[in-house]
Amino acid sequence: MKSAESVAGRERKAPGTESVILFVVAKQMFAIAADDVQEIRSTDSLAGGANEIGGAQVAKVRHTILRNRRTYYVVNGAVHFGLLATRPSLVLILRQRRVAVLVDRIERMAEIPAVHDLPLAFAGTERHWYRGLAYIDDRVIPVVDPAGFLTGEELRHLDRASALPAVEQAESAVHQ
Amino acid sequence: MNGAPMNSPGQPAERSFVVFQMESRRFALLAGDIVELAPPVRLHTFPHTNPLLKGVIVRRGHIVPVYDAAVLGGRHAAAHRFFLIARSGGSKDAELAAIPVAGECELVSGELQPAASRPAYVSGTLAIDGQSIDVQDGEAIEVLDLGKLVASIPSPSEARS
Repeated sequence: MKSAESVAGRERKAPGTESVILFVVAKQMFAIAADDVQEIRSTDSLAGGANEIGGAQVAKVRHTILRNRRTYYVVNGAVHFGLLATRPSLVLILRQRRVAVLVDRIERMAEIPAVHDLPLAFAGTERHWYRGLAYIDDRVIPVVDPAGFLTGEELRHLDRASALPAVEQAESAVHQ
Repeated sequence: MNGAPMNSPGQPAERSFVVFQMESRRFALLAGDIVELAPPVRLHTFPHTNPLLKGVIVRRGHIVPVYDAAVLGGRHAAAHRFFLIARSGGSKDAELAAIPVAGECELVSGELQPAASRPAYVSGTLAIDGQSIDVQDGEAIEVLDLGKLVASIPSPSEARS
């Protein structure tokens, strides 16, 4: 499986634009900066390496995966965004975060000229979910904030539940 | 459109309002805050947590949040034909907001009367010709303050029934 970066590199990038990956969860399309994604894997390829978290208090995270000696918490995208449960087929492994996100499918790569501010009317937790909104091919698509998938408190809960080594917890605290 | 008072000193301040229909209920906005009555452009939806919001529309390069004023009246959204776009604050830089309407909008002169026991996003009730009661359905026409509506995120249970 290629990294998101290498896939993005094949497309010509106009000055001032940002490469994003358009992905789908429960029929809703989202965008994430290609630079925020380390790797895209199928759920099947990771099935053997996933570990269940016992007694986790964060409903959207039920598993961890180990990649390059690093543990990632697997966030169910549908649960995170309050959407109907789906059967995800892909995992986006985020860069510089201990988070991987289950999604249904990748739509395509795109170049966006700008990320528009989320209107102030959207004042709830969606302000943590999204960096803003992109206008792509006559569609308004939310651009997700990779830092919004797990809060610091949720990470602490998960660290306790998964009994992650102290060294890795300290390392993640620097990145979050 | 101008929402400035037109009366001489001593008389109640009369201003211009745009009154719009949501099913059997009517609401009003200060005419000076209205930007345009837009055609039924595409409504874009995505996950969020504000029960008052239907989504966003794109109009003249702006991404405009769309409120469901029918929810304010405790009713489900009806079919709409236009979007009434207004500034959600007093200044020209204030964020725009849109309300789907059936198209039957009226420009009326009236007085804004204080209204007790109403949500914060209702700045008062509209009195036309000294009458504060909407003669169409016997209910007061509530004048919405979109700025306060933006600031409030009531849960579904707080929406009036």
